[in-house]
Amino acid sequence: MTELLIFACIYVALALLACIRLGKGPTLADRAVAGDSVDALTCVALLLFSFYTGRGIFLDIALVTAIAGFISMVVIGRYLDRRL
Amino acid sequence: MTILRIIADVCIALGCFFALAGVVGLLRMPDAFCRMQSSTNITTLGILGAVIGCALHAIGMRNWAMLVKTLVIGLFFLATGPIAGHSICKGAYRAGVRPEREMVCDEYGRDEFDD
Amino acid sequence: MKKATVPAVAATFLVCAVFWLLITWSLDVQKLIAGAVICLIAALFSARFFVQGRPFGLLRPGCFFSALAYFLVIFPGELIKANWDVARRAFSPRLPVNPGIVRVPTALTNDCALNLLANSITLTPGTITMDIADDEEGKTWYYIHCIDADAESAPEEKGEAIKGTLEKWAGRIFR
Repeated sequence: MTELLIFACIYVALALLACIRLGKGPTLADRAVAGDSVDALTCVALLLFSFYTGRGIFLDIALVTAIAGFISMVVIGRYLDRRL
Repeated sequence: MTILRIIADVCIALGCFFALAGVVGLLRMPDAFCRMQSSTNITTLGILGAVIGCALHAIGMRNWAMLVKTLVIGLFFLATGPIAGHSICKGAYRAGVRPEREMVCDEYGRDEFDD
Repeated sequence: MKKATVPAVAATFLVCAVFWLLITWSLDVQKLIAGAVICLIAALFSARFFVQGRPFGLLRPGCFFSALAYFLVIFPGELIKANWDVARRAFSPRLPVNPGIVRVPTALTNDCALNLLANSITLTPGTITMDIADDEEGKTWYYIHCIDADAESAPEEKGEAIKGTLEKWAGRIFR
């Protein structure tokens, strides 16, 4: 099952790459999109790590991460639309 | 069981490729809206590849609880991705984000609706 | 604001209960009772947002098999094609994008079908639905941000290029 750990490391490296846009992005929308990408990639890394260790508790953490990312994106979108 | 594991690993590798394409697009694209298009690449096939691969691993391990939870995570991403993308795109346009390079055609700015 | 009817509450309760059973994955009596109470409260509050139209309409055989074909065959094909296209654009050294916002018409009238088609278009990379609006003659238009927009052709041709076969199937599910 070592290959799952390697894939999880690749996803974490991609999340760190997306952090460049998170720091550099000129507008708030850029940062929000990059933050959503980091959230999704972290969720997948947790999923793969859960299958590497064989413990189901990380799947719950991944689900909560996904829900928090979705709600934050919708709230930022409504704030930009001036309807919050 | 070995064949199932190989298929699952190929699925996860394909997901890695599409996630890499999304991140590269996120870093290279010229304006905010094109970056949104590239990030859709991550949240669809970049995630679904890993989810399908993990589901095949769970079938190989005979662990039905983890299989169902993995599929619920994939379903959740499919259901909520478009809502977040639509919300952030419309909000960015209304907040006055415009690309530096001129768009080919902009029919939303021509007749914008106030609701 | 419209009121929640009993079949709408029952449909929402069933969906919530199925998700509760899938996530907890146990048939313990205490967990079942707690899940039933929580699902009932959630269904009472959210049924009037969740159910539009007929509550159990998706379970009629024609609609059910259309939905199955749509989500298992038609939509994944479009998804993989569009993903490959956007990935090719991102890796290409010249970066061949010409973004634009186009306005395309649609023939659908049902709210659920309109929503399903808009979400499917947003989920395929390369196109994001920004707004849905009616004009004076009662025709419905989508405003779509497209990564490869053509400004010259007629609105119907643009719509054909973006929607493809999705519109026909979306109309077939919610008849």
